[in-house]
This record gives sequence, structure tokens and C-alpha cells, in this order.
Amino acid sequence: MARKNLRFYIAIWMGRLARFAQRMLGMNATYFPGRLAIKLCPDFINRIDKPQTIIAVTGTNGKTTVCNMLIDILTENGYDLMNNRAGSNTNAGIATALLSYATIGGKAKKKLGILEIDERSSKLIYPYINPTYVVCTNLFRDSIQRNAHPEYIADIITSAIPKSTKMILNADDPISSRLAPENERVYFAIDKLESDLEAPQNIINDCRICPKCATKLKYHYSRYHHIGKVYCPACDFTSPTPEYLARVDMESGMMTMELHNKAEQFELVSNSVFNSYNQVTVTAVLTELGLTPSEIQKGFEKLSIVETRYSAAEARGVEIITHMAKGHNPIACSCVFDYAIHEPGKKEVILMPDDDINHLTTSENITWAYDADFEKLNHPDVLRVIVGGIRAEDYRLRLLIAGIPSEKIFTTKDEKDTPGLLELKETDKVFILHQLYKTKAAKVAKEDILKMLGEERTV
Amino acid sequence: MGKIVIEVLYPEVANLYGDLFNMKYLKQCFEVNPEVTVEWIEDELNGKPAFASRDDISVIYMGPMTEYSQELVIEKLLPYKDRINELIEKGQLFLMTGNAMEIFEERIECEDGRKIAGLGIFPLYAKRKMFQRYNSLLLGEMENMKIVGFKSQFTHTYGNNEQEYMIQTLRGDGIHPGSKLEGMRRNNFLGTYLLGPVLVLNPELTKYVMRLCGVESPKLAFEEETVKAYQIRLKEFEDEKTTLQ
Repeated sequence: MARKNLRFYIAIWMGRLARFAQRMLGMNATYFPGRLAIKLCPDFINRIDKPQTIIAVTGTNGKTTVCNMLIDILTENGYDLMNNRAGSNTNAGIATALLSYATIGGKAKKKLGILEIDERSSKLIYPYINPTYVVCTNLFRDSIQRNAHPEYIADIITSAIPKSTKMILNADDPISSRLAPENERVYFAIDKLESDLEAPQNIINDCRICPKCATKLKYHYSRYHHIGKVYCPACDFTSPTPEYLARVDMESGMMTMELHNKAEQFELVSNSVFNSYNQVTVTAVLTELGLTPSEIQKGFEKLSIVETRYSAAEARGVEIITHMAKGHNPIACSCVFDYAIHEPGKKEVILMPDDDINHLTTSENITWAYDADFEKLNHPDVLRVIVGGIRAEDYRLRLLIAGIPSEKIFTTKDEKDTPGLLELKETDKVFILHQLYKTKAAKVAKEDILKMLGEERTV
Repeated sequence: MGKIVIEVLYPEVANLYGDLFNMKYLKQCFEVNPEVTVEWIEDELNGKPAFASRDDISVIYMGPMTEYSQELVIEKLLPYKDRINELIEKGQLFLMTGNAMEIFEERIECEDGRKIAGLGIFPLYAKRKMFQRYNSLLLGEMENMKIVGFKSQFTHTYGNNEQEYMIQTLRGDGIHPGSKLEGMRRNNFLGTYLLGPVLVLNPELTKYVMRLCGVESPKLAFEEETVKAYQIRLKEFEDEKTTLQ
């Protein structure tokens, strides 16, 4: 860590002043104060004092949920910590979080920090915060404009992580499990599930060939996309052996993990595999930090997935579920489609996939939609697929190419018209799967459907 | 019309950004045309490509890939360089999207000074800058067809493609910033930096490709919907208020 100089002190004072002013104006103040501080003192993150222990959480999918769970459980157990939950996960967001939890002289007020880190910002953050642990949930294909492909992101992260950092990695992910190969590490994984396959069935799999010898990889079991237990038939490459191996039983809603030579049971907070991974990740991190299984379980009991990502209500026997399906992220969408079709009952699905930010200035790149498994929605239990948004005709075509009969597809340019396209005759569940920027529109649609059903919310 | 043979090169690595749907959609299109049957071939990296020994391939396709995979693919295709040249001269239809076209250039120049030798079929070279992601829309013209598409890449191609380009740009850059000529073309070898489901986005181009494969009056799968989506996008791309990047 570099010494504090006059430039640093001006930066922290101005940053704190900006934060105060923004908050007085009712703003979040989670990005600009840090951005200003970095502008005034480019190595601000290097100079400011950091908590003694920092857990940095990164990865394509699940990092926000994992961070939220860690913060909630640690707080529940009496830990006093700093975090960037409220805002940005780029270097400006990290700088804002650090200055918010520091004295006016730049001393850290907290001994523990939980920081969500944007993968692409790794080089601007890791060398300066020197995290005690880096947790990577997974690495998948994400926005092509920003993230290109997972190999590129893996290289960025590996090149930025200090040698002293301990890695907590997903053994079931043959890409992220190879991050920072020279660093000390532990792995987590989920043992074979009944729903596992012999080979990947998704459109995309970003680790089809052996990273050592380029032979096509084989799977002991395949879960989704490249997630699973792999081996190379031609060389010794294989998935690593996990220190934290969970046995997940979706039916009973429990997971079992061997901790300190004893099989410990934890309640699952959700019945989706991807959320189970988040819980396994959290259990591994908290155990590394020294929490006992009962302390961890106590935290899990109070958790729920935040409303912006998932919500459910019921009226007249129809369940209305909103679920974020992050746009430009084919894996997140495919996982949510998979979750929806595996829920019992007949469904109607409303999609709100548009990225409004792009529509303001340009014509949205929709190539990602051909990496996402819209084919999953071609299922006899899916009665209708309704698409709302400016790009609705693109998605109509995508759904047709996915094999969905045209009589099941309905489109409208305006998301608010989607509830009117529901049939609601034999329907048990309505899924509203929405982009991050469509959270509000999804909420409005949910309320409209409840009104259409003419009954107050019961769940 | 009889059998169409679609050969997809190395889909285990050359599959970024939804590009495999170029051929999946093309297959669906052929299948709605009467008396057309389709044979689908996927070549694996560790195998011998079908074009090496067959003369009945209708279209050879390869999509974009990671930088590491580019080197693997160059290594795998190098033994077939003469055969590829022979096929191009015979008028074999090739379609390369995204950075797949760089495989056929003389070299890829990296930021660290490394030069990766390509197949050298086109007198062009690519420059790679891993921290300058280039994203853009492209509106262009090819054989009186308006072409729309997306670019997202770390590289640009340099050299003279004045006699061997695929698309004349109307909005957006060609093979490098400032260039008005996009991609590469020699006989029926078509290469473009456009990526993703280029054929799905461009119904006229799909018909053009089908005609090159020998279907005289091609019909498209979901033709009405494809044309509608294309027209909406074309209007947006033609609108000067729509920014390219």
C-alpha cells in the first residue's frame, strides 16, 4: 500500500463531500464519490486503508446473490463489516465503498470487507485491495460487447490476483477452477444430481476441449452448459477434487456437506440448481472464515432471494412468478427457462428481454439470443410465450426457429400490454422473465395479472 | 434439386455469439424447399475435414472463436491449404463469420510483437488489441442486397481488399476503421467480421447463399417473420440518429 499524500487527502475529502451532497439529494451515492476520488488521486484505492480481511466475490452469475448472502449471514452472526452491496462493483464503486467506511483520515473503520467485483475491473482493483480470499462463482459467456468470451475474462482475473490471495473456486466449472493456478485454493462442488446428464445438451458450452491437449472433453456428469465433472480421455486433465462437496436433495429441500469430519445439513433457500450453487459457495466461504455449521444454518434460515430477482404471488390458484433473466447473458436466461419448465403445472411465459439502455441510442445487438436455449420453452406444458418489447419481432423469429408453434407465440411492442395476451384458462403458473432493466415493468405486469384474476395476493 | 451438404468446421471451438445458427437456420430453410434433403457434417478438431476428400459439399462454414482457438484451427487447417485454394478456384461456397476469416489471412499480429502465421490465402493481415474491444453496427451493400449486422472484435484486418471484398459499407467500418470495404471474397469464398446469426438477420443473403448451393427459387423458413424483423432492423440502421457503437 502506498503512503497517503496531500492528493489522497483532497480526494477522500472531496469524495466524502460528494457522497454527503448526493445523499442529501436523495441519491444512492455509490459510484460518483469514488469516481471523483480516483479522478483526483488515480491510485486512491492503493492509498486508502483497507479492512484486514477482504473477501472479493466475482464470476459471471451469482456474485450479487452470494455477496448478499454473505453479508446477511455474517451480520446475523454479529460481524461488523463493510461492503459495496448498495452500488457499483467497478473500481469507482469499490473506491466509494472504501471511503464510505473510512475515517476522514483514510483509516478503515471495519476489519472485514465483502466486495463484489466486476470481472473486467479486476486489474484496477485486486492488486490494490490485496484480497484475503477471491471467490469465483463461475465463468460463462456474457455480454459479447463487454466480456467477449470466458477465456478472455479468465486471463484478466488471473493476471490481476496477488499471489498471496487464497482462491475459493467452483470445481464443477472447468474454466473458473483454473484461475490463478499458482495460488493457494480450495474448491466447492455439488455431487451428482438425479437431473444430471451424460453430456451437455445446451447450445453453448465454452469448455468443449481439453485445455491441456485440445481433445474433446468427456463428462462423468453434465449439469448445464460446461458445468459438471469433466475428464480428458487423452491426458490427465480432470475436474479438481472439492474440499466442500455438497449433496443436494431438491425434493427434501436440504443439502448435506461434510464439515470438520461431520455430515452437516442445511436447508436450501431455493429449489433451483443455480441458487444451490450460491448456497454451497457461501457455506465454503463462511467455513473458511471460521463460522460453525449452526451459525451458517442460522443465517440461511433468515434468507430469501431479493425481490428484484424473484417474487411470487398467487390468485385464484394461479401462481405469478417474476424472475430476472439477465439480458445479453445467455446462460442466465437458459437456466431460468430450464427452471420455469421444470416447475410443475401448465405455464404461460411472458418475456421482457429488451435492453432499454441500448434502445435509447442504437439498435440492440441480439446475437446473444441465439446462444440462449429458447428451445427449452418448446415444451408441452408451456401454453403460450408472450414477448413484450421493441425487439419483439426478433424474439418471435427466435422462438419459431426454436421450434415453438406460431400459434403459441404472441408479441407486443409494449411490455405493459403483455398481461392482456394471457389466456389464463388451464394455466397454473405465469412466469414473467425479465431483463434487469425491466424489473419495474415485470412488477407492474404482475400486479395487473393479479387484478385480472380479481383476487388479492395470497402468497 | 437433390442433396445439400452442410459442413461446419470445428463447432466445438468456432461457435461464439450464436453463429452456429447461420447453418442451423440455413438447414431449416433448405428443408422447407421441396425435394431438398440435407446432410449435416460437423468436423472435429482432431479429425480430417470432410472437404479434404469430398467434392459434393454445398457450403463450408466456420464461426468466430477465441484467440487461443484461432491458433489451434490454423494448425489443423494448414495441411489442407492447397486443397482449400483448389476448392476456392473451383467455386466452392465458403462462409466465414467473425474472426474466422483471419485464419485465411497471412498473419495475426499480437500486441506483444508475436506474429501468428495464418493460411496466407488472402494477402491481408490482422492486428489484435486485447484491450480495445470494437463494437459496431454495419449497414452495407452486396450484389444489390442491403446487409445489416453486428461486429464485436479485438482485431482489425489490414492490407488491400479492393478487389476481394464482400460488402461495400454504407454505415460503419469495413475491415478496419476508415475502410469502406468489409470482409473478403474470392469466387464463392465469403468472409466477414459480421458475427452472430448473419443469415437469420439477412433474408436476401440467405436466399443468395441457397442459390449458390443450387436452389433456383429458394424459400426461407419463417420467411414472413424473417423479412419483417429484417425490415425493422434495416430501418433502424438506415436512420442517421442510430449510433453505430
